[in-house]
Amino acid sequence: MELKGRVWKFGKDVDTDELFAGRFMMGGDETSRSQYQEFIAKSGLSDVGHRENVPVDFLKKVVKGDIIVAEENFGIGSSRQQAAETLKFKGVQAVVADSIHRIFFRNFWNLGCPAIDLPGISAAFETGHEMVLNLRQGIIKNLTTGKEFKFRLIIPSWFIDMVEAGGLIPYHKSLKS
Amino acid sequence: MTIVEKILAKKAGKKVVRPDQIVEVSVDLAMIHDALGAHTIARFRELDVKKVWDPARIVVVLDHYVPNKDIDTAKKCLNIKKFVIEQGIENYYEVGKGGIAHQVLVEKGHVLPGTTLVAVDSHTTTSGVMGAFATGIGVDEMAVVFKTGRLWERVPGTIRINVEGKLKPPIMSKDLMLLILKRLGVSGALFKSLQYTGSTVSQMSIASRMVLTNMAIESGATNGIIEPDQKTLDFVKARTNQPFEVIRSDPDAEYAKTLEFHADDIKEPIVAVPSKPSNALGVTEVEGTKIDQAFIGSCTNGRLEDLRMAARILKGRKVDRFTKVIIIPASQEVLRAALAQGLIATFVEAGAAVGTPTCGPCMEAHMGILGPGEVCISTANRNFQGRVGDVTAKIYLASPATVAASALKGKISDPREFF
Repeated sequence: MELKGRVWKFGKDVDTDELFAGRFMMGGDETSRSQYQEFIAKSGLSDVGHRENVPVDFLKKVVKGDIIVAEENFGIGSSRQQAAETLKFKGVQAVVADSIHRIFFRNFWNLGCPAIDLPGISAAFETGHEMVLNLRQGIIKNLTTGKEFKFRLIIPSWFIDMVEAGGLIPYHKSLKS
Repeated sequence: MTIVEKILAKKAGKKVVRPDQIVEVSVDLAMIHDALGAHTIARFRELDVKKVWDPARIVVVLDHYVPNKDIDTAKKCLNIKKFVIEQGIENYYEVGKGGIAHQVLVEKGHVLPGTTLVAVDSHTTTSGVMGAFATGIGVDEMAVVFKTGRLWERVPGTIRINVEGKLKPPIMSKDLMLLILKRLGVSGALFKSLQYTGSTVSQMSIASRMVLTNMAIESGATNGIIEPDQKTLDFVKARTNQPFEVIRSDPDAEYAKTLEFHADDIKEPIVAVPSKPSNALGVTEVEGTKIDQAFIGSCTNGRLEDLRMAARILKGRKVDRFTKVIIIPASQEVLRAALAQGLIATFVEAGAAVGTPTCGPCMEAHMGILGPGEVCISTANRNFQGRVGDVTAKIYLASPATVAASALKGKISDPREFF
């Protein structure tokens, strides 16, 4: 499957407290998908102006289909799935980073959104560049610069099917056990 | 194979596994708490299954937001309790019965050597102290574990952290761990396991070892683990009759690398300055920094030996009049022992606020939240910007000894002065 989007460039060590502050963790009605989604989308990255590793206009200008390209260690910290959810619900369809923390990596994929770790990739992108990402072929292309990169993911064989199903929960519902 | 590789191979039904291989393993134990439990349950309900795979393998602990601070937290805890009753889950720890989940899992004998444990919490790595593979996952994944009892994992290669020599009080395992993190960095162990070995680790109490496995996650590691020894076995057998198999690394196990440390290299107590747990400095380099709050507690450092160390420094003294000093035992068991030994009286006499066993101000959850520009020295595990409240607040991480000494003076202080 192929994803195409506009890039936002993040710095290193973007942590889960930054992506989704503790004060919002118990907010939102988790039994109502639509209400929950709205709450999680608006509560993420609440202190973004105080951070060096997130572009200041990201919150105002992010649109559906955008892709985050980050330096090393994206998503370090907590299990809180809201850190991954807030990015998805704001419209981010993929995260590509030099390295990604294990729990965030799993959480973002489980929402049906690819998290791609490829050392050195952040140097090839700037905010505003256009990216095409082919999951099955393992290719990232910067349409703005014309440069192409190959990646090899360490993921279960069913993971891309899961993304195509819309995430872990829909994927499991579709399995006839 | 290493201990982690052997556990994962066994639970995957394979003879051999190698680093970075994807395996599917059976889950021996799954824990949810109040911070993400209701979310897990909501996602589980979407899977259209009536019953969890095995209620005896689920532990539920309320620790982040109890006693409930508002209607939202009360509602989520109610949903959790209903689920526990509906599913027939025996291992349920209401406020006042348990304490911090990671402490409860270990001290109540739920975690057995050679097993797998997942929980909706990154500090699940703590339970690796029992020689188990213990790691954190998100809520969608936990919903699927509740349905299937299975989990996929990328087998982590192992970084061996070997420590020799004797730690001299008031140097504690926290000081050592902060130095280990300085060497590893906050991404030095991504998709790797940290296995702690050496004479220093052997000499440590279970409580001191838990600091090492607890903070393994701060290096990005999948898990932290210590091979079971006689101390581990005595500890477990005193708490459960469940059978288990002791698994240890093979003599020819291959490690991704080995980092060597010596206790004598720790010349002074260590403080991790804002805003990364890897920002370790000697206490003398930050001595005198004014503080607004001092917190002793959390799954990192809220155990009896931590409180004893704090009491030794606070006994017969008064904490600084403008400093909010908060001390929270990690569990009811720790609280009971602290009461019996007179530690709680010492804290109250010194002017500290003593809380009921919960996570407390380790994160921006329930209490002890920091305002703009406030400075806190804490025995917890993370000092990210905004971790405990306002984004401009600053958090320093240190041992219970250093935090207690700082509480007395209202500024970051060297505990050696009180020894």
